[in-house]
Amino acid sequence: MTEKTKSEVSEQKLVGLLAQYEDPGSLISACNHARESGYKKIDAFSPFPVHGIDPALGIPRTILPFFVLIIGLTGCAVGLGMQFYANAADWSPLFPGYSFMISGKPFFSLPANIPVTFEVVILSSALATFLGMWALNRLPRLANPLHRISRFKRVTNDKFFLLIETKDPQFDRTETESQLSSWGASVVEEVKEDLTDQQLPSWLQLAGLMTALLLLIPPVLIFRAEGMTNRKPRLHVVPDMDWQDKYKTQTLSPNLGDEKHPKFLFVDGRAMQEPIPGTIARGDLDTDSEYFRGIKSGTDAFATVSSAGARTSLQDDTRQDDAANDKPAEPNSDTAATSEPDWVTQFPTNVEVNLELLERGQDRFNIYCSVCHGYAGNGDGLVNTRALALAAAGKAQWTAAKSLNDPEIIKNPVGRIFDTISYGRGTMGPYKDQIPVEDRWAIVAYVRAIQGTGIKPESTTKAEEDAVAE
Amino acid sequence: MAITVEPLGDNTIENPEERAPLVLGGLDYAGVTDKVCAIWEADKAPKIWWLVLAGAACLLLMFGACINHLLMKGVGIWGNNNPAYWGWPIVNFVFWVGIGHAGTLISAILFLFRQNWRTSINRAAEAMTIFAVICAGTYPGVHIGRVWVFYWLFPVPSEHLAMWPNFRSPLLWDVFAVSTYFTVSLLFWYMGMVPDIATYRDRAKSKMRKFVYGLLSLGWTGSARGWHRYEAAYVILAALATPLVLSVHTIVSFDFAVSQVPGWHTTIFPPYFVAGAIFSGFAMVVTLLVPARRLYNLKELITIRHLENMNKIIMATGLMVGTAYGIEFFIAWYSGVAMERFAFYNRAFGNYWWAYWIMVSCNVFIPQLFWFKFFRTNTIAMVVICIFVNIGMWFERFVITITSLCRDYLPSSWHYFHPTGIDIMMFIGSFGLFTTLFLLFCRFLPIIAISEVKSIMPSEGDHH
Repeated sequence: MTEKTKSEVSEQKLVGLLAQYEDPGSLISACNHARESGYKKIDAFSPFPVHGIDPALGIPRTILPFFVLIIGLTGCAVGLGMQFYANAADWSPLFPGYSFMISGKPFFSLPANIPVTFEVVILSSALATFLGMWALNRLPRLANPLHRISRFKRVTNDKFFLLIETKDPQFDRTETESQLSSWGASVVEEVKEDLTDQQLPSWLQLAGLMTALLLLIPPVLIFRAEGMTNRKPRLHVVPDMDWQDKYKTQTLSPNLGDEKHPKFLFVDGRAMQEPIPGTIARGDLDTDSEYFRGIKSGTDAFATVSSAGARTSLQDDTRQDDAANDKPAEPNSDTAATSEPDWVTQFPTNVEVNLELLERGQDRFNIYCSVCHGYAGNGDGLVNTRALALAAAGKAQWTAAKSLNDPEIIKNPVGRIFDTISYGRGTMGPYKDQIPVEDRWAIVAYVRAIQGTGIKPESTTKAEEDAVAE
Repeated sequence: MAITVEPLGDNTIENPEERAPLVLGGLDYAGVTDKVCAIWEADKAPKIWWLVLAGAACLLLMFGACINHLLMKGVGIWGNNNPAYWGWPIVNFVFWVGIGHAGTLISAILFLFRQNWRTSINRAAEAMTIFAVICAGTYPGVHIGRVWVFYWLFPVPSEHLAMWPNFRSPLLWDVFAVSTYFTVSLLFWYMGMVPDIATYRDRAKSKMRKFVYGLLSLGWTGSARGWHRYEAAYVILAALATPLVLSVHTIVSFDFAVSQVPGWHTTIFPPYFVAGAIFSGFAMVVTLLVPARRLYNLKELITIRHLENMNKIIMATGLMVGTAYGIEFFIAWYSGVAMERFAFYNRAFGNYWWAYWIMVSCNVFIPQLFWFKFFRTNTIAMVVICIFVNIGMWFERFVITITSLCRDYLPSSWHYFHPTGIDIMMFIGSFGLFTTLFLLFCRFLPIIAISEVKSIMPSEGDHH
């Protein structure tokens, strides 16, 4: 032994004695001898499972089957429960189940749920068997003193070994060695544990540390991105159906031909077609003038309404569309522009004013109207207040929102209020497309109700005046 | 270590006085180890290995290119169209998953029946199972449309989707059955291989191999306590895999049988599919092992007796499949349902008659040759027959899928199915994937269960 290895020798500890046998028969007889001599910490090693070695060594039956049984039964319950939860139960705080209606069949029917339950049982039991076996065998164990012995390499080939550990109370270095030889061993060898074996190689430690640090980078980047704002669109790893080869409605058709012979989807160059003249889309047959427009039926609907100049061109467009649907525009529309239509003064017959409607109206009013007109309709909504302040500072153009309690406004018939909500007035925009007809009537009812309270706009306080002045 | 060269005896003769030997050539324990490890320890793989690997890798590339094309363009590149929305992809899926049944059958069912001859062939058959299931899983995997959300197949809690899979659908049962089968087969295969990987570890010369095989062998020492639990685990896994292997093709058949398409809605499908799966799987094992045993000189371990036993199973399952074909016709007539009768008449004599008769010839008529010992024991003859069997089994799935779909209840939608070039390339390409994996397995992992073969050898100097 060289000088260099001597320092290592000092760290070596005797683990046991390893005897080599040439065939399974002599191994079994040696095991029997060892057991009968009272040794407890013994183990045999062989290239294949040797029959009869368990009683020879006194190995008790493994508990593995019971472990697998428990896991398998658990798997059965989990499998069934999972299916019930996912397809038949609606309760759950986090990820709700989903009652999946298929052809009117019951949500949970055992026959249909047997295949998946069966597979879950098999899968969980197999995993339990596999993992349980290695765990009970204390494997993986990559550093084992036995692997240091070159002779032991043939244990996976054609030799048989018996190990008696030093931990055994009966172990005696010389006595045990002679016993092992007398039981037919061809060679007896010391098994020594090198304590340095238990330390990881330094390069592996370094590599592990580096890997751990590198693994930290992705989560750090993700958390960083989540905590930041970014004007760029989000990253589309998989575009899914976010971008599609299609033309959107109300857009021009691109030229599908060439410069000289332009070709469009439709002759008018649009990417969509107009409805055929005279057709009305489903649900758009608004014949009830009182209900849909707030104008007494039998009177002219649109030509007179557009109290000219008050509407934007966009509003006029929609008005024209509606007019086209209903009846052709009157030739004298321009001349009649200033006269008011015959507004309904009563709620239409199919709008029943009751508490439910008022509550709905309040709800909608608070969402759509209160931002400018204020919760009490006094024209002191936050947007209005802020815009007035900006306008006073010369930073914006703004026409103050009306107080709904203004005596002039209170005089308006319900039909006109409805029309105002639908098409806007002055700088107020139209809400026809955001608010369905019945909700607009609900808002009208609510507006009437708050007007009835008689709450007058408060005079602006000193503080507010200061704010405006700023 | 010198391998004793002894003439190979004929172990196909039945002698009631003694068990026929399963390891020939007078090999001892070390001889078996040397024989199997020689494949791995050879400095260079045989030329033919490189040639076949090159060919298979080209096909694999083609397969990958087809899948890429599919992901970019969508499933419209296949011939699937109204009314045959299930075209070649499902045919190929059932074909491969059927082949994948032999491995677990050999390792689990034959193990429970204590058929010792399984030990030389089970490792390769299990590997074949795993590779076949990989090929099979590819088809439905890429057929789901948006492959990148494949995990929606599984009950994964998702806020985005806010719903769960439908557990009463046979297609979902399939997801569970095939993925469970793959996992359990993989565990079984790997667990069975650990002692043999330890053999490789102990014989490894290069540092790289010592490291890799040392890691894979998990520190196996062959301790008696280890073997005790290992054997217990092996029996449990075999007992779990036995119903599993029967359930998988049963559930695959439910994909068809639970629907109401004429020709599919039959209760015979589960047993008939399982028999067909074993039939095709064994045929594939023979097709792979005959060249492998020749190339790697494993005649002492994979003996003619092993091959003959497999051929007997092929013939038996072939007869079962043939009986099922007949019973299907009887039940169609006996049911008195006009559409059902038409479906079967149409199979044999309709415009897909050619496919039907290829199927019957390959699956029922040709395996009858195995009644003669010459065909059971001649390696070339058996490979030819087994290739025919697999052609026939592919056509069986084609006949079932296509003839029924193209002649459904609505005559106005009747149609003649045409595969596209991509369909054909993807089918051929999957053989590239399969062959590549199998060749790599042969080169780098023990293709014969060394420790199991030793355990069935009459022990030297037996004292007990």
